[in-house]
Amino acid sequence: MSRIGVFVCHCGENISRTVDVERVAAEVGKLPGVAFSTDYKYMCSDPGQGLLKKAIREERLSHVVVAACSPRMHEKTFRKAVESAGLNPFLCEMANIREHCSWVHEDRDEATVKAIEIVGMMVERVKKNRVLPTITVPVTKRSLVIGGGIAGIQAALDIADAGHEVVLVEREPSIGGHMAQLSETFPTLDCSQCIMTPKMVDVANHPRIKLYTYAEIEHVEGYIGNFQVTVRRKARSVIEEKCTGCGVCMEKCPVRKIPNTFDRDLGMRPAIYVPFPQAVPNTPVIDRENCTKFKTGKCGVCQKVCGPGAVDYEQEDRLIVEPVGAIVVATGFDLYSIEEKPKGSSIKGYGEFGHGRIPDVIDGMTFERLASASGPTGGKIMRPSDGREPKQIVFIQCVGSRAREKGISYCSKICCMYTAKHTMLYHHKVHDGQAYVFFMDARTPGKSYDEFWRRSIEEEEAVYIRGMVSRLYQKGDKIVVMGSDISVGVQVEIEADMVVLATAVQPRKGADTLAQKLGISYDKYHFYSEAHAKLRPVECATAGIYLAGACQGPKDIPDTVSQASAAAAKVMTLFARDQLEREPIVARVRETGCVGCFYCKKVCPYGAVEEKEIRDRQGNLVKVVAYVNPGVCGGCGTCQATCPSKSVELDGYTDEQIVAMIESL
Amino acid sequence: MTQLIDTSIYTAVTEAIQGEARRILSEGSVSAVVGYAAARRKGSAQPVVITQADDSGKLIFSAACVNNLAVYLTKAKKDIPKNGKIGIVVKGCDLKALVGLMGESQLKREELYLIGVPCAGVLASTILPDTALTSGTIASKCRECGERLPQGCDYTPTVTPPITPVLEKKYAAEIARLEAMTPAERWAYWKEQFKKCIKCYACRQVCPFCFCEQCLCDRNKPQMVETTPRPAGNFAWHIVRAMHLAGRCAGCAECERVCPMDIPLNLLNRKMAKELKELYNHEAGFEVREKGPLAMYDEKDDQSFIK
Amino acid sequence: MHTEKEKHTFEPKIIAFVCTWCTYAGADLAGTSRMQYPANVRVLKFPCTGRIDPVFILKAFQQGADGVLVSGCHPGDCHYIAGNFHARRRFAAFRKLLEFVGVDLGRLQFSWVSAAEGGKWVEMVTGLTEQVRGMGPMQEFKELALEEQWSGSIDTPELQEAYDQI
Repeated sequence: MSRIGVFVCHCGENISRTVDVERVAAEVGKLPGVAFSTDYKYMCSDPGQGLLKKAIREERLSHVVVAACSPRMHEKTFRKAVESAGLNPFLCEMANIREHCSWVHEDRDEATVKAIEIVGMMVERVKKNRVLPTITVPVTKRSLVIGGGIAGIQAALDIADAGHEVVLVEREPSIGGHMAQLSETFPTLDCSQCIMTPKMVDVANHPRIKLYTYAEIEHVEGYIGNFQVTVRRKARSVIEEKCTGCGVCMEKCPVRKIPNTFDRDLGMRPAIYVPFPQAVPNTPVIDRENCTKFKTGKCGVCQKVCGPGAVDYEQEDRLIVEPVGAIVVATGFDLYSIEEKPKGSSIKGYGEFGHGRIPDVIDGMTFERLASASGPTGGKIMRPSDGREPKQIVFIQCVGSRAREKGISYCSKICCMYTAKHTMLYHHKVHDGQAYVFFMDARTPGKSYDEFWRRSIEEEEAVYIRGMVSRLYQKGDKIVVMGSDISVGVQVEIEADMVVLATAVQPRKGADTLAQKLGISYDKYHFYSEAHAKLRPVECATAGIYLAGACQGPKDIPDTVSQASAAAAKVMTLFARDQLEREPIVARVRETGCVGCFYCKKVCPYGAVEEKEIRDRQGNLVKVVAYVNPGVCGGCGTCQATCPSKSVELDGYTDEQIVAMIESL
Repeated sequence: MTQLIDTSIYTAVTEAIQGEARRILSEGSVSAVVGYAAARRKGSAQPVVITQADDSGKLIFSAACVNNLAVYLTKAKKDIPKNGKIGIVVKGCDLKALVGLMGESQLKREELYLIGVPCAGVLASTILPDTALTSGTIASKCRECGERLPQGCDYTPTVTPPITPVLEKKYAAEIARLEAMTPAERWAYWKEQFKKCIKCYACRQVCPFCFCEQCLCDRNKPQMVETTPRPAGNFAWHIVRAMHLAGRCAGCAECERVCPMDIPLNLLNRKMAKELKELYNHEAGFEVREKGPLAMYDEKDDQSFIK
Repeated sequence: MHTEKEKHTFEPKIIAFVCTWCTYAGADLAGTSRMQYPANVRVLKFPCTGRIDPVFILKAFQQGADGVLVSGCHPGDCHYIAGNFHARRRFAAFRKLLEFVGVDLGRLQFSWVSAAEGGKWVEMVTGLTEQVRGMGPMQEFKELALEEQWSGSIDTPELQEAYDQI
């Protein structure tokens, strides 16, 4: 027989003003199973908790109901108090007679009757509560970082510096990401590569970072603290361990005219290549689609000239399984491609801007490569069509961004600033040139950002025109840009030599596929969703997976680096303990009743349900039943409501508890 | 006016079933065949499991072969499927149950050898077995049957089912009649029906989808559903049963056939099937689906009923 | 602020099944904002609407509820990713079934109330209470329960005669 203690709180006058707390305590005291009931001014205060602990010991209470405020407020407080008095914390329940009663009703009699019923209901519930042990799961103190851009690099370095092993997986042959492509960075105009390459080298040399470039995530299994990640290392055709990075193969390769994606197709590269000279690792990769050896079977020059014998045409993709405890997703972004519309996407292109048709209409990243000292032009701004220096240049902001009719309604956040930077870079290199910017708004929140933008206008002579461009067309060797200046209400027409489009930031292609492998959620644009927009901005709803950088939403470098460090800090917090504790509100399968229809598995939002074979002593298969992995279970209970035979039960919310509550009413 | 329904193909079907059963049993590709055999009363039939090729001659098919044999693969004869591949004689309606059971991991397609039966219809449960099949004696479920020739079987006799007269759809008509009533009238109707229930659970025993080892309605800790054979318990039982079958029941109407108190049980199931078809365009039993309509969702699902 | 409270002859019993993350929190907010609503509702907290079994609704009616309210997170807001989506389908089907056996759906209400919608919670509870009050007590299940006590009414002379002879 249970010996339940009921403690009715006055909450000063918050409850006792409308609820006759003495009457509640007296009435509830008559319920079968209630051994002790009392009321007190402030149950949550030290003396209040003392009273509770004393009663548990002296009255040998088996269960506790605290009738006070919302459990969302003080459930943890009282469960802790109960635990310190030697009872399992899950044998304590709260009856909400403040938020749900005294504060919302005025009639004292009515409120008191309701309070008695609420407490009575919780008394019946607590009778059915079971001792729930805290669930612990071991933590593998290694982390996976997906994406080797600045976000992934920062997160990997932080975690590795804290003493934990990191597996960094990058899809491209080199780490570096978009930041390695940039010329200078706002708002300080320091050279991007100068600040980026040392970090890349740090990654390569770090004893605790295992770097897989030219690799992708194949498959993810497991849960927080215990993931098994299968990485596909694509065939590089060059053995990394043997290659010294001398570069002779690249010099001797007879195929030389392949547009280099890293240089936005402005420069050319051979079929065996590193994307850029400072690549990490400095190991070339053979582009099998363009290599003569792979196309015709003849050639093999690179293998012949390679001193260490690192070229291996037979190499195949390798699958490697890495056990990790946490995952940082830092897959970054793609730039909105204005000429082609992604298949099945609701996002529309900007055919009217002539990108792809008019060679001197380029996007911002191409401009970065033109302006970069290590770029294909050696830092000289010249037109892709004829190599002339553009004397009139037009920048158009918000191409794709904030254009609901085109399918993207968000602001890409970085374009205002990088366009301002572009006007400066242009002005520094073409002293007699003139830059025009078509813009909707200038958004410059950030340290020294507005000053930077003002500088582009006041010191670097960029002309900002508020308004959008309606049309572009080629006229001779000029591009006529037609738009409106809405601040003065006139139509403008500029004959430009070059046009630069500040295209929107989009998630990486295939971001959705990766999210499905990881079991994380994403929004309609395929940006990954954080667990809480404000309070848990770097965690995914799926435990143990964290976000860094533009894969979550458009971000500039400082924000990306901050978030990467924040994600690293979350990983370190997780790794600070050997065992992970979690609330034991998880589903459990009653194997005798389970018939293996796996409805639970079908509805589980967490993928926590597995199939388990039951065998007899001879090893014969008796049946296959469901098994809920307590480390993965989120505790929603959808499985139980769906199970036809109720053979899976959510601890803390069992049918017994709920039926007891309904029957008490 | 009563119309005679042509069942002349049943002789050919019977021969074909016998031949195929003999072949697969003697080849040893199946360990048993579940089918129908003649029963003692004239013209009647009963389920049979044969394991010897020599017994193949016992198998028949007639308008008296009403049973859904799917139940013999799950709970009724649980041990049958364990002994290797099983042959089973299936009508179109029975096949839908098998398909559903495959989707719910209760059966595996590769463990079954399906002998499909071209069917012209079977007799209603209230009709004596040796009666001729007419528009008056045919079972209600056959009146709205669209699967006279089961698809996707391992073997189907090459007989074309005769063109059957278009018959009035009794379930659809009855559902429409009830839907037109006020809630109070419907309550009165079902109260009258459920009042008859004696909680013999024959409906549960015969249903291929009631494969739970422990029924929710038998639990007493907690007692989720009243178990008494009285109005409150009866109501609860039939509501829970209809809910559990929603999206799964394909309408073999065995529950209704075996009900000794003649409660129109399939009416509830057909109503739920109709609603799920309207809401989620789901029809049970046509393909092996991993997820039924109530085990999945679409973010754009109708929520006009939610404030 | 204090208004004379109307006295009603019939006070319906309303049972609310709510999820802890959205609607329970919304009801808490109604409390912290000191909004007023009828005291007829009893709230049962679930982790998620996905946990709410249709049998509980049936049980609540059998237990004498005159109205039942089921409320959870708005679509897309579910703390457990998709529990409310599953619940939405389940209840869409279940209410059709209840309607078909003759339960007036005016007594069964579903809503999405977020943690920020204290006002909406008050609106839902007040609305359902008033609506059910207008409909009168839920006699149907109560009558069934009464009949549960008696095996049948003695409504024929033959039965009465037989009974008298015992």
